[in-house]
Amino acid sequence: MQRVEDPRLLAGRGRFVDDVAFPGMLHAAFVRSPHAHARIVSVDASAALAVDGVLAVYTAKDVDWLAPLVSSGPMRDDVCVQSRTPLAASTARHVGDPVAVVVARSPYLAEDGRDLVDVEWDALPPVVDPLQALEPDSPLVDEELGTNNICHAEQSAGDVDAAFADADYVTSIRFHSGRSTAAPIEGRGVVAEYEDRGGGRYNIYSSTQMPHLLRMFIAPVLGVPAGRVTIKAPDVGGAFGLKCTVFPEDIVIPAVARLSGHPVKWIEDRWENLAAGVHSKDMVCTMEIAAKADGTMTAFRGRFVTDSGAYSSVPFSPLVDSQVAGVYLSSCYDVQNVAYSIDNPLTNKCQIGAVRGVGWVPGQLAREVAIDRLARTMGKDPVELRLQNMIGPEVYTTPFGQTYDGGSYAAALEQARDAVDYAEFRQRQLRAREDGRYLGVGFSPFVEPTGWASASAAAGGMPIPFFDTASVTVETDGSVTVTTGLHSDGQGHETTLAQVTADELGVAMDSVRIVYGDTDSSVFGMGTYASRSAVLGFGSIRESAGQVRDRLTRIAASLLEADPSDIDLVDGVARVKGVPDKSVPLQQIALFGYFGGTARPDDIQRDGLTATAGYDPGETYANGCAAAVVEVDVETGLVTIEQLAAVEDCGVVLNPTIVKGQVAGAIANGIGIALLEELAYEDNGEFISGNLINYLYPSTTEVPSLTLHSIETPSAVSAGGVKGVGEAGTIAAPAAIVNAITDALSPFGITIEKTPVTPEYLRQLLRAADHDRNKLVGA
Amino acid sequence: MKVGMTVNGVGEQVDVEPRRTLADALREDLALTGTHLGCEHGVCGACTVLVDGQPVRACLMFAVQAEGASVVTVEGLAGVDGTLHPLQRAFSEHHGLQCGFCTSGMLMSALHLLRTEPNPGRERVREELAGNLCRCTGYAGIIDAVVAAAAELGTTLREP
Repeated sequence: MQRVEDPRLLAGRGRFVDDVAFPGMLHAAFVRSPHAHARIVSVDASAALAVDGVLAVYTAKDVDWLAPLVSSGPMRDDVCVQSRTPLAASTARHVGDPVAVVVARSPYLAEDGRDLVDVEWDALPPVVDPLQALEPDSPLVDEELGTNNICHAEQSAGDVDAAFADADYVTSIRFHSGRSTAAPIEGRGVVAEYEDRGGGRYNIYSSTQMPHLLRMFIAPVLGVPAGRVTIKAPDVGGAFGLKCTVFPEDIVIPAVARLSGHPVKWIEDRWENLAAGVHSKDMVCTMEIAAKADGTMTAFRGRFVTDSGAYSSVPFSPLVDSQVAGVYLSSCYDVQNVAYSIDNPLTNKCQIGAVRGVGWVPGQLAREVAIDRLARTMGKDPVELRLQNMIGPEVYTTPFGQTYDGGSYAAALEQARDAVDYAEFRQRQLRAREDGRYLGVGFSPFVEPTGWASASAAAGGMPIPFFDTASVTVETDGSVTVTTGLHSDGQGHETTLAQVTADELGVAMDSVRIVYGDTDSSVFGMGTYASRSAVLGFGSIRESAGQVRDRLTRIAASLLEADPSDIDLVDGVARVKGVPDKSVPLQQIALFGYFGGTARPDDIQRDGLTATAGYDPGETYANGCAAAVVEVDVETGLVTIEQLAAVEDCGVVLNPTIVKGQVAGAIANGIGIALLEELAYEDNGEFISGNLINYLYPSTTEVPSLTLHSIETPSAVSAGGVKGVGEAGTIAAPAAIVNAITDALSPFGITIEKTPVTPEYLRQLLRAADHDRNKLVGA
Repeated sequence: MKVGMTVNGVGEQVDVEPRRTLADALREDLALTGTHLGCEHGVCGACTVLVDGQPVRACLMFAVQAEGASVVTVEGLAGVDGTLHPLQRAFSEHHGLQCGFCTSGMLMSALHLLRTEPNPGRERVREELAGNLCRCTGYAGIIDAVVAAAAELGTTLREP
């Protein structure tokens, strides 16, 4: 099936935010801090303003009429609320923190001006190490807060201490999940105009995943009611969670459109994207497992410290990493004694936000690497050890109270094992070692919370209601218009949601149009992130389309003089069951629905053929397993992925092509996290990964052909049995790869303690192992 | 400076500053917004266009350097009636695009490959497209699409 969005995107006729232009539009460039932590002594814009075509330079003082941007995170009592001014007023807190904005006739002139703004800085001691940031004598990143820790939280279930006391084996690891980010090929961008009428209103184009929530967050900062802000999210060139954040630039650009009296466009460059967007997954983890001699795992204990950067991001806060690493600790294992603690120290780095896989990735790494370590310690097979401890396929409630809606936990691992010919591989591995080649295999079964809604959010420690609505209209000619507050930034909603609408109404798919990405024309919705759109989109459309279908059926029944229960609506034609020549086309039903006067049922006279309905499903959890086969060149430290197999169970699949694409893209991202992607800071807080030469991510040559399998365990709770799929591969792949590398290098006895596993890092481990071995030989 | 070039077969003249990139001239002066900018330092390949038949990062070339050249952008691929080029069709059939932002550059790099090597195998496609980054697809659909288009097009793309 060709996607609805394909022809325009392939022809170069997509419309992305940088393709939007208004007459008289000006261009903005931000002056950003080159320091990790510095007081702003003064800003001298005179040289910039002397450039022909530079119209204005605005600092925090010029936008002091803006309310602060407030991060309350999950609105829990134990989470600090942090406020910031959209432009740093007195202190810059990380490299890339915006302190002024230059507005000029062209982007070139705006950048000329930016380079001429003279900021006098008074450098302050930077806070760089997240563990030191938690020490009482650490300098504070944000003095107002009085602490660096956005949240310390602990939770336990069962009797963890007793389980460890009674254990025959205890495995304990420390793992540092590296700092990576979304880095979509299209960065962020905002175009804003201000209309000075009726109390003022803002018309904003933004590359965002959540138009309505963006409006909800920025309207109060701009000081206008939400109804006076329109957010239009046009085609979005990839987002992966980066664009479900509310950024200072989202506020500053509309504000300076108002101040300058011109529409203003800002398109971020790659350095800004990497230095000042959101970062992700930078977590220092410790993971302990208690086990009995027979291999039964009896307890998990984790500590998860998220290096949170300088600001608690809006809306998800750094807990989007630490909290979810902790609360889903038991994953697919029948372990009843579990405990975790989380900390979220601020540091003078870029803020942590919700990027594909979020804290599930570090949590998965810590747990699955530890399980492999336990297996080696016990001399047990890592697959058998996992299968021995796995929960069953039925509905299951974890010790922390999440209720899984059924899944193929063991079956997925078994399929992944078979996909890499596990038994045969072990033979091949032995033969290869005789030739001095080091092959390894690693497994990573996972559970992914999907369809983020009120129940799943609460179960994940983020107790905020999440739901979505859809509005379905059968137009006068029988064509169908659906509006949704979900957004598509590559997921193909114009296709999948049209498909489910067509199925639900019994009409041709090409008669359905999906309208989204505009707060003026779409019903309220919470946006697309957290693998939620398939579940929420399908559920809300099924409910609203179902109501319209009921009306169509009743009209058809009256036109055909039949009972509504005898009407079949298929391919845009209503027929009486068993009477093939009694039929009426949808077009005629629709026309009657609008203009049939009092012959229509009362509710149709009142509501026409439009229905709007919301959906807030119960908890849905996808599951699956990744298996990686790698070869490590011990001379260079280079890891080659020979095979990557993934088994995905996202419940009932709506569109197999799109699901496969989501899985493949997420795995590629996972490969990057495991081997390549690292946003690095120097010890003084200087940022050194500001381009795609230093921040490497996978190209065609790093992603092997993937072996993808699917299992469909219908959700026990969601409409149609659907579960989400967007993040699975990113969650699963890194741990499989790290375990495979460790397995490959088992003759050297090395311990991998961080991602990305770069050649340099592996060589360092191998040199140390050689050194130890030589010492042993010498002794 | 006035610069004359042929763009998608049409003679064009633009008046640009010497520092204006070819990408900006195409996007802003000629309203050909199908060429996208992903990194502006020549790594991601999203802005790839063909200049005198060679793939070029339009973010790293000045418009003035294109004086007298023949430039082909993604807008030059489909027929005037909107009929997609077989390569574009293959991208759709093999789900070789999701958000569509890197797609223009992918198509242009792939077109160059198919014009110079009519029947590249998967490994050659992989090598040639290593200079175009995609964050959505994991590349499998893209490689499938180019291989399929090569099979369909055979030698018809070889330029004289």
